[in-house]
Amino acid sequence: MPPATDATDGDARILDAGYRRYAGDRGGVAHAVRSVIATTLRRILGLRRPARSKILPVMSIVFAYLPATVFVGVVALFNRFGDDADARALIPEYSDYYGFIISAIVLFVTFVAPEAVCPDRRSRVLSLYLASPLTRMTYLLAKAASVAAVIGLVTLGPPLLLLLGLALQGEGPDGFLGFVTVLLRIFASGSMLALLFTSVSLGIASLTDRRAIAAAATLLVLVGSHIVAGTLEFGLNAPDESLLVSLLIAPFILVSHIYGETGDFTGLSTTATVTAVLGWAALGTGVAVLRYRSLQVTR
Amino acid sequence: MTAATSPENGRPASVPVVRGERASKRWGSIEALRDASFEVGRGITGLLGANGAGKTTLLGLILGMHRPDTGSIEVLGRDPWTFGAQVRAVIGYSPEHDCLPPDVSAHDIVRHVAELHGIPAREAQTRASDALYEVGLGEERNRHTGTMSTGQRQRVKLAAAIVHDPALVLLDEPTNGLDPVQREHMLHLIRHIGHDLGLDIVLSSHLLDEVERVSDGVVILDGGQVARHGRLDDLRATAEHELVVEIDGDAATLVVALQERGLAAVANGHVVTVALEGDVVHDVVRDAIAELDLPLRRMEQRRATLEEVFLASSH
Repeated sequence: MPPATDATDGDARILDAGYRRYAGDRGGVAHAVRSVIATTLRRILGLRRPARSKILPVMSIVFAYLPATVFVGVVALFNRFGDDADARALIPEYSDYYGFIISAIVLFVTFVAPEAVCPDRRSRVLSLYLASPLTRMTYLLAKAASVAAVIGLVTLGPPLLLLLGLALQGEGPDGFLGFVTVLLRIFASGSMLALLFTSVSLGIASLTDRRAIAAAATLLVLVGSHIVAGTLEFGLNAPDESLLVSLLIAPFILVSHIYGETGDFTGLSTTATVTAVLGWAALGTGVAVLRYRSLQVTR
Repeated sequence: MTAATSPENGRPASVPVVRGERASKRWGSIEALRDASFEVGRGITGLLGANGAGKTTLLGLILGMHRPDTGSIEVLGRDPWTFGAQVRAVIGYSPEHDCLPPDVSAHDIVRHVAELHGIPAREAQTRASDALYEVGLGEERNRHTGTMSTGQRQRVKLAAAIVHDPALVLLDEPTNGLDPVQREHMLHLIRHIGHDLGLDIVLSSHLLDEVERVSDGVVILDGGQVARHGRLDDLRATAEHELVVEIDGDAATLVVALQERGLAAVANGHVVTVALEGDVVHDVVRDAIAELDLPLRRMEQRRATLEEVFLASSH
């Protein structure tokens, strides 16, 4: 307890308040959820933590934003010193941008969910969370929101930066309607990717309390699904739909559909693609929900 | 410290803090709690029982983490399963097991617990410091809990349990892993929180002496059943069945005299213990001492220990 003092000097007084009763307003479940989100975001991004905790998030974010920054910079240079046509030739389609940053997305996805949920179970601090107004499901929802927000940093932020940068250089979509359409497509595709990878990675991370194992397992599922899809399609001559097994193909085909592009996968319908993405998302969410429902906290 | 000793905590004393009505809970084939009917009153209540007696299950029911299979539990007048969020908002909980993330500072985790219980961020910041000062960790508050001793970590858990000014604090084996000095300090803190700060506490423990030293009431669990419950003094009174008489002189003479009068008495040195059977025992003993002209040093009903209450309650 701080040293007690009631010394007075003129109007100045130092009061030892110590432990006090609390009669103010108390937030409810939403307040608790916000607190979990804020704390989890700080943890994932390494804020208020040692420098080594910041390496992966900073690296991923730099990798994700670097191409957009370079494109906008190069376009600005061409606009100043070169030809408009040369500048336009350099600009990738918005839907193609993910091709430049897929490694950053994979890197981010593999460590974000494990960092968000594994330490809580390993240190057993989960029992303190569940002794608060939170339930297992509201806790999981808060964690999912944090993970989705952070993954959104690399699935939403870079295309947005590209759009805004190009628009400022006069190389953006034509007219206000064109701008808004692209903006909505960026939000739709970025959010879809964030939610899909959140559910899959949370499902995997909910199965172990060790971050490294969860990260390795997430990478294995992402790459493994791609290998399986490739083997089915090209090794076993399975129908084109088998490509949708891949977590590195299906969501990006859906991105193409969101942008109204057919790309290289003309044989794949929007319905099949949406079904595949929803299937993966449902699987991840289902595993996480079942795992947290059955988790023993106190007994 | 201001306004910390309000004994009523804004609630009428007549409302039990926790009430169980034939509550039962099974885990598979194990019946962890059976027909538990009890009341927990104001102050510090010991939840006493051997390992596996059902203490932690009962705490889980109080927190609304589990639903009783049959019967009911009321906490502060509400069903914790139905009103889980509201009930847990005003409960502080310190689990038996270690539950502190090692790479987070004591202040950060205590502040976060305050926020989880609805305290606004700025207020939570201040209250976390105050709570850590209260448990003697003011100077250590910015240390990561992973670098702290077991005793310090137990105190961080205690600070986290009181930081949001709960109406009820649940402490599950709070002296686990502590050496005698740390244990003494922890018991002192629990007494301080219960009696000076005025927070109602349920102290779950399998250690009789620590419950006896700090508790005002007790719920004794035995094999999942409530063996006894009530205020400690009341329980002791029902177990006070002996009169202790200390004399200067020949105790054997007094024993013979009492036995001739139909009382069961045994001597041990200068002390004679007489079974209390009926209302007249005091008078008979007094008269016998007067007749024998023995110098009387002390005559009192023996104060039963909690251990005796516990043993009398257990199978």
